[in-house]
Amino acid sequence: MRKSFFSPLFIKRIKKFRSFKRGYYSLLIIGTAYLLSFFSEFIINGNALLVKFDGKFFVTLYNSVSLKKDIFSKSIKAREDYFEYKTSLAGDTLNSKNEKLLSLKSKHELYDRIKKDFDNHRTLKNILKEQKRGDWVLLAPYPYSPNENLLDEMGDKNPPTKPDGQHFLGTDDRGRDVFARLVYGFRIYMSFSLLLTLTSYTIGILFGAILGYYGGKVDFLGLRFIEIWASIPFLFTVMVISSIMIPNFTILVVILSLFYWISMARYIRAEFLREKSKDYVQAAMAIGVSDRRIILSHILPNSLTPVISFLPFTIISGIAILASLDFLGFGLPEPTPSWGQLLSQGISNLSSWWLTLSPMAAMFLTLILIAFIGEAVREALDPKIYSRMR
Amino acid sequence: MGKKQKNELLKVENLKTHFMIEEQKAKAVDGLDFHVFEGEFLGIVGESGSGKSVTALSILRLIPDPPGKISSGKVIFRGRDLLGLSWEEIRKIRGNEISMIFQEPMTSLNPVFTVGVQIMEPLMIHRNMNKKEARESAIQMLEKVGISSPELRVDDYPHQFSGGMNQRAMIAIALSCNPSLLIADEPTTALDVTVQAQILELMTEIKNKEKESAILLITHDLAVIAETCDRVMVMYGGKIQEVTSTINLFENPLHPYTKGLMDSIPSLTKKKKRLNAIPGNVPGILNLPPGCPFNPRCKHRMPVCEKSVPELLEVEKGHSVRCHLYNGEG
Repeated sequence: MRKSFFSPLFIKRIKKFRSFKRGYYSLLIIGTAYLLSFFSEFIINGNALLVKFDGKFFVTLYNSVSLKKDIFSKSIKAREDYFEYKTSLAGDTLNSKNEKLLSLKSKHELYDRIKKDFDNHRTLKNILKEQKRGDWVLLAPYPYSPNENLLDEMGDKNPPTKPDGQHFLGTDDRGRDVFARLVYGFRIYMSFSLLLTLTSYTIGILFGAILGYYGGKVDFLGLRFIEIWASIPFLFTVMVISSIMIPNFTILVVILSLFYWISMARYIRAEFLREKSKDYVQAAMAIGVSDRRIILSHILPNSLTPVISFLPFTIISGIAILASLDFLGFGLPEPTPSWGQLLSQGISNLSSWWLTLSPMAAMFLTLILIAFIGEAVREALDPKIYSRMR
Repeated sequence: MGKKQKNELLKVENLKTHFMIEEQKAKAVDGLDFHVFEGEFLGIVGESGSGKSVTALSILRLIPDPPGKISSGKVIFRGRDLLGLSWEEIRKIRGNEISMIFQEPMTSLNPVFTVGVQIMEPLMIHRNMNKKEARESAIQMLEKVGISSPELRVDDYPHQFSGGMNQRAMIAIALSCNPSLLIADEPTTALDVTVQAQILELMTEIKNKEKESAILLITHDLAVIAETCDRVMVMYGGKIQEVTSTINLFENPLHPYTKGLMDSIPSLTKKKKRLNAIPGNVPGILNLPPGCPFNPRCKHRMPVCEKSVPELLEVEKGHSVRCHLYNGEG
């Protein structure tokens, strides 16, 4: 007779967590938003999702190379056909009444027009619609890409333009849609922060565990190393590195992880110092468990208090640090959709309030929701609730 | 012991375990010689601080270093010196051929794992069992140590067990790989008397079933020794003071310290006698008196006691004692 996969205690804690409505709903919101953001290409995209052209289907979600090739070759063909026919009729004065010539001409002109504008799928859609040849373009519900320059469609307005029905949050100073940039930025910021937390915690936990478990000289040297390492001014280092080479997502995660692990290493070291002297560790040694297993599977699960209590704050600070680096211009390179970069645009265009307000609101919401989740997790794991003594 | 000559399973020679405490050397175990025969139930008895537990930990090399250090000696187990083995080799012996039971059952089990997982661990490490086999074995072990409905309790956490049940679980962990030597370091001290009796009964039962394996029982309770052991070793100040069979020890104690211990057992038969206690306290390990460590508390103190440490002498067959009283007479 086997009990359920999760221990009853775990189920109890899940229930407890769900009873904290604020945290539970925050988790639902953030979770859904983050999950949805992985499908944002289907929702917010200047590229059409699917194009039917001359009876053929083209999936243009990420790129429209095949569609372009098709249109290109067809336009060349139409042009050749037209001129070939025209020269074959050379000298004929009834040119203008030759039906075949006219149809070839109109086809040639249509393809030429499409060729001119096929990068912009919104225009392409209109052209194809006008032609009524059974071709169509399926656009995303919000048909603007985050990195797409919309200057051509603005008419006499100058970027940044105000929020309106087409652009929910207006456009930025380079004529890109702010809403699209915010949503794509959310995906990048959340992924960045989660990845940064994961890597820096892994380094910090392993380092701290080794220092705390082995103690003695290892501990002494390790602590001195931490002290020296921690005294490096990390923001400046990141700036220096970013100005030497153009950082990308991975490089930034690596650089920041190099500094972010320190505090976790200290906490885990302290936990290990306390836990390793407990009897169960000696008992585990006495049955021949290897050091690695004792560290990872015996002591570590008993030392996760700091991890649980600091996790939400680390995620929050990961988002904040990326925003500030982007703000200063040392973060992710252009044209990556970024909240910090939007903010810095807002500073230089103070009258365009939507440039400052929208990334601020997005950050505020994200950070406070994560903080609520963290609060609920801590409450759910707090054994005080179960104790009889109050 | 006379019936058949048994083989030595474990032989400890001149074991010295020292601790460096604030630049001073504390000689917790100082020149220990003893042996355990195959299938024997040997008891080590002594007051707190006499070096019993350190002896047990030294055998498995579980002394925390620093501050502790096994500075010399040999621990020969089945012809191999455990002190000379690599960590990898000693790890293969721990929990497999020699296993240990600790004093505090409530804290010696890891609170985050179920009891079953902890019994499965040595099986998976030493016997290369897969999870399913190990689980089956764990359930059998729990049944063997007398836990009812083991197939349900195997998924319980230590905090769902009582102290006695936890100690049974510890014994199950220790016995899971059929060790040839089981070291029990005060297994009953933290338990109440009825549970104590049950645990001791369980240990004797195991002893009777598994004729091969030897048990080294460490305790400060002479009653426990009387109930279970074949042979007893009395320790004081990090040294053996007297070794003999249990019956002999109770009938004919030779060392003044042993005599003192015997006198301080309350008796049901003798009436209205004030209980004799040994005067004074166990000397601090950092400032052991010169000569025989027991001399400041000894009734039969002689001038020589303060000058030199007596040798462990075999006074009669299978009965050795370390005291100047028996030095001259033999």
